[in-house]
Amino acid sequence: MRQKRRKQFTLLGLATILALLVTACAGGGDDGQQTAADGIITINWSSEPPSLDPGLATDTTSSNVLNNIMDPLVKLEGENLAPTPALAESWDVLDGGKTVVFHLRSDGRWTNGDPVTAEDFEYSWKRTLSPELAADYAYQFSSIVGADDYNGCEKNCDAMRDKVGVEAVDDRTLRVTLANPTPWFLQQMAHHSFLAVHQPTVERFGEKWTEAANIVTNGPFQLDAWEHNSRIDLVKWDEWRNAADVSLERVNGRMISEGTTAVQAFEAGEVDETGAIGGLPPEEMPRLKELPEYEQTPSLATYYYGVNVENVPDVNQRRAMALAIDRQSIIDNIAQADQLPASGFTPSGMPGFDTINPVSEFLPAAGDIVRAKELMEQVESPVTDITLVINDAPGHREIAVAVQDMWSELGIDAKIEQQEWAQFLEALGPPPTKTTDVYRNGWVGDFVDAYNFLELWTCDSGNNNSNYCNEEYDALLQQAISVPDDAERYETYAQMEELLFGPEGDMPILPIYFYTNVSLQRESIKETFNLNLLDQFDLTKVVEGDDSGDEDA
Amino acid sequence: MTAFIVRRLFWTLPVILIVIFFTFVLMRQIEGNPFRTSERNVPESIQQNLEEKFGLNDPWYVQYAKYVKGVFTLDLGPSLVLRGRDVNDIVREHFPESLELGGLAMLFALVVGIPLGMLSALRANSFLDYTAMFFSNVGFAIPSFLVATLLIYFFALQWGDVFGFPTSGWTTWQSKVLPSLALGLGPMAYFARLTRGTMLETLQQDYIRTAKAKGLRWRRIVAVHALRNSLIPVVTAAGPILGFLITGSFIIEQIFAIPGIGRYYVTAVTGRDYSVVMGLTVLLSIIVILANLVVDILYGILDPRTREART
Repeated sequence: MRQKRRKQFTLLGLATILALLVTACAGGGDDGQQTAADGIITINWSSEPPSLDPGLATDTTSSNVLNNIMDPLVKLEGENLAPTPALAESWDVLDGGKTVVFHLRSDGRWTNGDPVTAEDFEYSWKRTLSPELAADYAYQFSSIVGADDYNGCEKNCDAMRDKVGVEAVDDRTLRVTLANPTPWFLQQMAHHSFLAVHQPTVERFGEKWTEAANIVTNGPFQLDAWEHNSRIDLVKWDEWRNAADVSLERVNGRMISEGTTAVQAFEAGEVDETGAIGGLPPEEMPRLKELPEYEQTPSLATYYYGVNVENVPDVNQRRAMALAIDRQSIIDNIAQADQLPASGFTPSGMPGFDTINPVSEFLPAAGDIVRAKELMEQVESPVTDITLVINDAPGHREIAVAVQDMWSELGIDAKIEQQEWAQFLEALGPPPTKTTDVYRNGWVGDFVDAYNFLELWTCDSGNNNSNYCNEEYDALLQQAISVPDDAERYETYAQMEELLFGPEGDMPILPIYFYTNVSLQRESIKETFNLNLLDQFDLTKVVEGDDSGDEDA
Repeated sequence: MTAFIVRRLFWTLPVILIVIFFTFVLMRQIEGNPFRTSERNVPESIQQNLEEKFGLNDPWYVQYAKYVKGVFTLDLGPSLVLRGRDVNDIVREHFPESLELGGLAMLFALVVGIPLGMLSALRANSFLDYTAMFFSNVGFAIPSFLVATLLIYFFALQWGDVFGFPTSGWTTWQSKVLPSLALGLGPMAYFARLTRGTMLETLQQDYIRTAKAKGLRWRRIVAVHALRNSLIPVVTAAGPILGFLITGSFIIEQIFAIPGIGRYYVTAVTGRDYSVVMGLTVLLSIIVILANLVVDILYGILDPRTREART
């Protein structure tokens, strides 16, 4: 009897488990999988954008969403990222570069039917500058007359607002007055900070105007859905001025920030692109590089080690430390995305790069340990105990360990201190904390001129984390921006690079490599899904072709 | 019973005040600036604008007082990093996901764990017992992030066509299966072991022998007399575990890209988003307090002696 009852219980239990398993296994997933060329693609935005307000957005996700749902005055096109007309059909540069007048197209429209006017831009830019909005990127407008004064105003703010050098002369003419000639101002216009917002919508919904239900946009795509931390879906706006040239009907976007999950979602066919924002997991690079869907493009960004020159004061030691680093080996064995070894700070791809940052004989890609040791011997009181501060994102520790090993040949005992991001930023300063001798960092360009990079190492730069200050260097930068001629300016930039990284260079930082952007793209869109040097993609140009046979993936 | 619940609820107030105080102090002790999110430094005047906007330039006691007032008027304030979003929005939009994930994981843990433990106890030292306990031990020992990765690899990728589970997200019911299993496996194993242990002990009790001697049906003895008493330790453990499943699922949310509050919690701590950290800490502490309260009430139902002692 008892045996039988026990059996009943056993069966009951097993049935429960089986039932659960069967329910769990039934059904087929159809979550966003698209294989046919139906004009619908799914991409991975990677992370939740902190804001979709052009005035407040600061990260790559927001920037890419905004560039596809809003219409900029100027777009950057071609390999050189030359400024080309977008919403502004033409412009005049007057007063030796101190005034720029934009002429707007007549067919710019907001999604509610309102025309896009010069007043929209005047309103938007002044809004971003207003102290009440407290925009992080207000500094983007610094070259405009009166911009910094208004942004930092404590009283008489209205008067200061009126003095800002941006004025809508009429509906289609926008006049901008600059404090100094700014050769890269036109390139800068393509940055999302300079996009227009729709005043009635902003005023009606306040901070909630960017929600999908409220937002009014003026670009090729509309924000169809924004489920926070989950998805952002865009849908083609048929009434956009050039809608006929846009092939995609819909771009669904997931937010998968975990690199491995994102790759798995790609391999399961749930997303058609991942990595362009957020990258690919470094530990999987050797495998992913072999996939036909792997794509790699140069980025306008430099990976480097900064030196706190107050703690490592001898220039020969800094030169020796730079020469001891085998950058090619770091790229081949650790970073593994065919980055270019850097012998200067201005990254490859920058207009004028070959002049500004020519191949350096002094800093070969594989380093020069013999010369490094010679230089180290000339150091009177070498600093042999070095604290190397890095942040805890994947990949940095491995590079730090390699560098630690390379420096040990110089008799330097480097201690690696890994910190989480916010704490790491505090250690950077500027000025860096006293205990920081060397730190890992990267610099990603905002606009396409070497000024955006070289300005970092001036004495008063807010991003100079090395305590380096050389008046000769600062004077050269002033000289560079006073010449409107590109070739001449590049020559001056080249002198600045030489001052930092030449055989007699001060070496406040040790360049490692120029970044590449790595991603996985379904073969059907790989031809047309292109990233520019600023890691931005233009969805109006994406055309779905034949999916050459990875449908089983 | 009502008096007991009211008293317990009343005592949550000082607990929440203490939680707010410690979170407030600790968050401000660690280095970091909520407005600096990248290697770009925030210019001084812009930093001032931001501090002014979010009231961070007030003295700490003013900020603290404002915050406490906010909590008790159910206004948890704006996020410092996610511009234009309030902590209330985040809780309203994302807490349901975490609650559902935690609830499903708990359901899986209880529905599978308790019967498994019972089976093992009833057939102690049999092959079935050893197999069940082997898997329980393994399930208990493997961390959830590894379980999650393995589940995705096998059930969404390798055999994705057969099972039809997506790798990530929280939309269709299929997408909810793997995360719930990954999160619930550890507690399931724990419940199974716990049930087995207490069940074995209960079955040795005199009153079970008495029940048997009186000729009661075995099924009734197990279901009514043994199970009920065996469940008391399970219930004790279930309260904190439920709290943990709802609040501590950030690893699973991260791996499966589930838009729950756990994901926000971690991003907020690393990004120094003070108001989000505070708001979510208060919310999570309330959940743990409530879970424990529910456990105490269940005690009363399962064991009348404790009920009498309290009222």
